[in-house]
Amino acid sequence: MKKKARKIVLSKEEILHLAKLANLKLTNKEINQYQKQLEETLDYIKNLQELDTDKIMPTDHTVHSENVFFADGTKNKRGLDQKEATKNSKNKKNLYFTVNRIL
Amino acid sequence: MQILGKSVTELKELIDRRQLTASEVFDYFLKRIKKYNKQINGYITIVDKPSINENILNRELSGIPLAIKDNFCTKGIRTTASSKVLNDFIPPYESTVTSRLKEAGSVILGKTNMDAWAHGSSTETSDYGPTKNPWDQSRAPGGSSGGSAAVVASYLAPLAIGSETAGSIRLPASWTGLVGLKPTYGRVSRYGVIAMGSSLDSPGPLCLTVEDAAYILKIIAGCDPYDATTVNHPVPDYPQLIKVPKKFIIGVADEYFDGIDEQVREKIDKTIVIFKKMGHKIKKIKLIHPKYAISDYTIIQRSEVSSNLSRYDGIRYGNTREFFGNEAKKRIMLGTYSLSYGYYDAFYKKAQKVRTLIIEDFKRVFKEVDVIVAPTTPITALKLGEFEKYPFFGELMDVLLEPSSMAGLAALSFPVGLDNKNLPVGFQVMGRWLDEETVLNLAYQFEKETEFFGIPKKALEKYPD
Repeated sequence: MKKKARKIVLSKEEILHLAKLANLKLTNKEINQYQKQLEETLDYIKNLQELDTDKIMPTDHTVHSENVFFADGTKNKRGLDQKEATKNSKNKKNLYFTVNRIL
Repeated sequence: MQILGKSVTELKELIDRRQLTASEVFDYFLKRIKKYNKQINGYITIVDKPSINENILNRELSGIPLAIKDNFCTKGIRTTASSKVLNDFIPPYESTVTSRLKEAGSVILGKTNMDAWAHGSSTETSDYGPTKNPWDQSRAPGGSSGGSAAVVASYLAPLAIGSETAGSIRLPASWTGLVGLKPTYGRVSRYGVIAMGSSLDSPGPLCLTVEDAAYILKIIAGCDPYDATTVNHPVPDYPQLIKVPKKFIIGVADEYFDGIDEQVREKIDKTIVIFKKMGHKIKKIKLIHPKYAISDYTIIQRSEVSSNLSRYDGIRYGNTREFFGNEAKKRIMLGTYSLSYGYYDAFYKKAQKVRTLIIEDFKRVFKEVDVIVAPTTPITALKLGEFEKYPFFGELMDVLLEPSSMAGLAALSFPVGLDNKNLPVGFQVMGRWLDEETVLNLAYQFEKETEFFGIPKKALEKYPD
């Protein structure tokens, strides 16, 4: 069963909105570039609409595992101490990460 | 003692028989790296002071040095995933794969170049410059594990670890004339591997022989309490099992030959004839056209990328998000779109349902056949820079690899010939879920029959000691 899909058009505002959601700062050149490239990609991937999936369950993992737990008493040998955990940070004070004030 | 071109299992035997020492082997590779890495740019970080002690000499890898793709966290060794975001990141912990290799007595030679964040199929999106294909340095080695492929093809390492989301081991193995194994998703732990597509990423080896692939898989495979998606299933003795030749029913689908380069097709057809002569049964099968897998993979992977890369905020480690390259930003943007409110059902959920169709399709076919064979890539290695002509470069090059990756199956690529540009042609074998054994067994039989026509070691003529 084939379903016709329209070409998706993205506005500049939509691109800026996505960039905001993704915490990316884009230049004007990038905005124009991604607008075009994203439209091209969306145009290509619409061929999935040709496949009937009405009664199909979605797959999010191929291993079909249930919940996985650590056995009681398992020692977490790979935990990091505070010094190791903050070692790579450029924003730290007394082994704490520093971030911008939120409130 | 000639070391050039020796496989891991051959080196092990020489070290165990005391004809070589582990230090001699390490120094040998270090010397070659110093001689050739500037041309190839396969390593972006070189470790020149290993700790080889008696303790590691009695183990499976007897001090043999290996190359590791730069998206595996290595404690105390810079790990960048070839992105400037992680330019100065020194992991405080070890990935499960490298930790198992070290426990088996291996040492790390260096970290290999890749497409930044593994986004690409040519290793040209690396922030540390492209890797050159040792067969022809004006060409790409494929990607994203291009550095890993190039260092093995030029013998700057006897074996390298790579990772595949959809094609990143098999494609570079094909373009550089090597054996590349993508294990079943969940067979090898992802703990400490910088994530690209978390429902797809599968670590595996790029090597000179099938036996090496089996040998390394046995070491790195298995359930890991630090990766809940690893499969709790015993790890077979692959190196022994592949030596018991079996007869298989081999499936061939026309859908995987659409738009394939004539010379590639000819080599693949010849290989199928060889398998037939060896007593295997060839069976025509029908599969969902791989063009749908391109779309399906694009949506799922971009969505997972946008989610995985959201953690790079420059607060706890690494640099800020301004350091992301063009490809990463583009992927984050599309993934953010497909996961957004209002588009989620139309894209992400639809793609998850198509993923079910692809899985069911393979299940149906694997009731009739033991393996499916196909070309690894539609064409042989492209020139550096040529990828810019293709807006969907990675996806098109990986078209024949994406369906099996979406289904999380085991697959392997090996070389079956050279085209008229003297570039290797790759042949892939896809197997059932967790059935690395069959895939390796068939590839090993072909290797015994043909020695891969000498291809894995052929590029070495250009890189003498």
